[in-house]
Order: sequence, then C-alpha cells, then structure tokens
Amino acid sequence: MAADKKIILRVAEILINELKLEDVTPETFDPDTDLIDELGIDSMDLTAVVLVLQDEYNITINEEDYPKLSKIRLIAEYIENKLKEK
Amino acid sequence: MNIAEKISANSFKKKWKFSDIIADPVVRDRWEKVKKYFYLRESTYDMTNRCNMKCDGCYYYAGEKQFAKENDNPEDWRRLMKEEKARGITYVVLAGAEPSLTPELCRVCYEEIPAGCIASNGYKKIPESVGYKIHISVWGNDETSRKVRGAKGLLLKQIENYQNDPRAVFVFTFTKNNIDEIHDVMEMLAGHDCKATFNTFSAPLQYKGDLRHNTESLARTRKTMMDIMTQYPGNVLFSPYSVVAHTHIYGLHDLYGCSYPRRNPLTDIGLGRSFRQYRTDLRWERDASCCVPDTDCADCRHYAAGSAVVTARLYRHATDPETFKSWLDYADTYLAVWVMGYEKGPNLVKYMKAPPGFDL
Repeated sequence: MAADKKIILRVAEILINELKLEDVTPETFDPDTDLIDELGIDSMDLTAVVLVLQDEYNITINEEDYPKLSKIRLIAEYIENKLKEK
Repeated sequence: MNIAEKISANSFKKKWKFSDIIADPVVRDRWEKVKKYFYLRESTYDMTNRCNMKCDGCYYYAGEKQFAKENDNPEDWRRLMKEEKARGITYVVLAGAEPSLTPELCRVCYEEIPAGCIASNGYKKIPESVGYKIHISVWGNDETSRKVRGAKGLLLKQIENYQNDPRAVFVFTFTKNNIDEIHDVMEMLAGHDCKATFNTFSAPLQYKGDLRHNTESLARTRKTMMDIMTQYPGNVLFSPYSVVAHTHIYGLHDLYGCSYPRRNPLTDIGLGRSFRQYRTDLRWERDASCCVPDTDCADCRHYAAGSAVVTARLYRHATDPETFKSWLDYADTYLAVWVMGYEKGPNLVKYMKAPPGFDL
C-alpha cells in the first residue's frame, strides 16, 4: 500500500518538531529511514510523537503497536488504516 | 481483565486531547522541561564483587552475580564504555557491590560517558572528579545501621563525606521495621542541608529476613512519606505520585508492567532493546537484566526500578490533566534524583492520585 504523501509529510513535520531534529525538512526526510536503528529514537520519543498524531488524526494508537511504527512510511500507512476503520 | 482493558473501563467521561492536557502553560513548561531528557538511555554495571559492609537484604549478594570474577583493568572498562556509547547508551548506573572501592574505574566510566549515577553506602568518599550523582543508602538510624549493616556511626560519616556535595542524594530505604526512624534521620539530614529521597525495601529472591513489607507497613510507610514530604519540602525529592507508586499493595510490575528485559520479552524498542546489566566480569545476560537483579519481581517497589518503569508508561498517564500532572511530578522527581544539575520544580499535584486502572 502506498502511503499518502500528505500524511508522510505531516508525520515528518511532527517528528522534526517533537524531537527537535536539525538539518532535515519534511521534504528531505527519507520516509524509509529506520527511526530506531538509524535515528536512535526510543519509546519515550515515540510516545511524544504518538500523542500529537492521535490529536491530529483523531485516532487511537495502541502502545502494543509501537514496534510497527519504525519508519515514517509505516506510521503513515498505520494512520491511513486507522482512518479507514473509522 | 488486563491493564489496558481496566484503564479503558475506568476511563474518564471526557476523552481528553493531549493538546488540551498541556494547554495550561505550567503543565506545558514542565512537559517541555522533562521531555529534554528523553535522550537518556540507561544501563547498569557492577564495579566490583567487594563491599566494606554486609547488609541484611542486600540484592548484590543474592543470586549468581556475586560470584563473577572481578575485572579491575581500567582499559577493559574504557573499551566497554566506548562500546556502550557506540550502541547508544547515554547514562550509566554504577552499582554493586560498592563502587567507592574502585575509584579509578568510576573515573574511566565518567570520562567516557559523563551522565550517570553511583550507588554507594557513603562510607568512603568518591573523588569529586567523578561528576556523577551519588546515591547514599540509608537504612535507618544508628542503632538499625549497626544491626542491619554492621556499621557504627554511619549516618554521621555519610554526612561528613557528602555534606554540601551537589552530587549527593541520601536514599532512605523504608523497611517493615524502620518506618518511624525517618523522623530522626531526616532531622539530621535537613540540619546539614542534605537532599534525600525515598526507597521501599524490595526483597531479594529467597529472602528469609524480617524486612519485607506487608499491607500494614506499606500503609504506614505511605502516610509517613507524605508527612515527611510536607515537613521538609526543601530537602525531600519526592512527589505524592511517587508515594503511591512505591507503597501500593501491588508492586511496580503489577501496576505498570516492568519494562526491563528480565520481565519484558520485547526487543524492538525501549529498555527491552537497549538495557543491559553488566556483572563485574563485564558480561551480561538478558534474562538477568534489570536495575536490581535478583529482586523478587512481585515485591519490587524499588526506587531505581520505578524511575524507569513508571516514567516509561507516559502513554497510560496522558489521559487527563490530573493523571498527566502526577506523571510529570514523578518524572521531575526522578530527573532531580538521577541527573546532575537538574532542579526539581514544585509538585503540580499535592494529593495522591491512583495509578491508571487501579485504586489507591
């Protein structure tokens, strides 16, 4: 499934804001970067992002699903699925 | 009913958006303050198998780790610290058995990873060049220290070594038998302007001694902690929610689900992925890895465990303003206890809030 480009860009923007990432923009953020292995983000960082995403898309993201959210593209797909379920 | 279902069943009439929870500027500021430290990734290290005391209920001298052969080669430790840094560890806890007996190794660790903490009995002063937080264990008044630790005049010696030392936090461990002794101990610590925090005795596996808590002693500990916090607000680093988490009839694992590898099979993200507990021979095993190995998990209310376990459950606390503020108080307390230079703010919630999905 190809994730919506708009959602990918918005997830990237939220990640950049929440994690105070430098030298990257939503447009230059590779959506296939492994956030855990390559960026070193941890469960606390991810929770901070998840709380904003839940508000933004009015969805619930379960803690148990964190391991599925290791890339921007995967997060965007997860959000799309959640939106379809509504 | 599992914890998630209980939380959902007890859920609040209003479903809060996180942006509404942090709309209050005081809450938002505290959130931003705490969030800056999410980069901390912890592991722990036994520095030696020696100690200059023998305490009843010591977790180090339970289980196999006490028999590990000591590696006292600074270059081996330097190499380990470099490897730890390379795999993302940013915070070290130097514990077991008594790190003050290996000052050179502590210095090497500090040179490589400058954020961390040392757990010490405080009898021998750790050189000031090692700029970690130092947690000095206090197990009661002089009489109790003599009985339980075989140490005479220990509190005065600890104060003499660490008075006016910004690294020092005195950690009073409440056992079933020493609850009222905190009054005398705290008076003395406050009289010397020392900072203190609280621990709850958590029995090692196969522990047969008399210090293990029961329902009555936990309730008395809870009340006493609240009283002492009120009496010494400038000296005690704790919060009402910390009191709840560490004196509940359920231990930390039952309340929050322990996130250390020993109880957490997940290796994708979080402590289950990154945390290791190294023995003094510089080896580690996933199944034994937690901050207080060989503690009976069902009885674990340990302050060090809670600092990671409660804090990691941010998501479960982001449900309504009061629960979230209680979590912020907990996180603010843990950072003040564990991180050099971090100043605790006033507690945002002055009463005891129940953990998500549980009663008080």
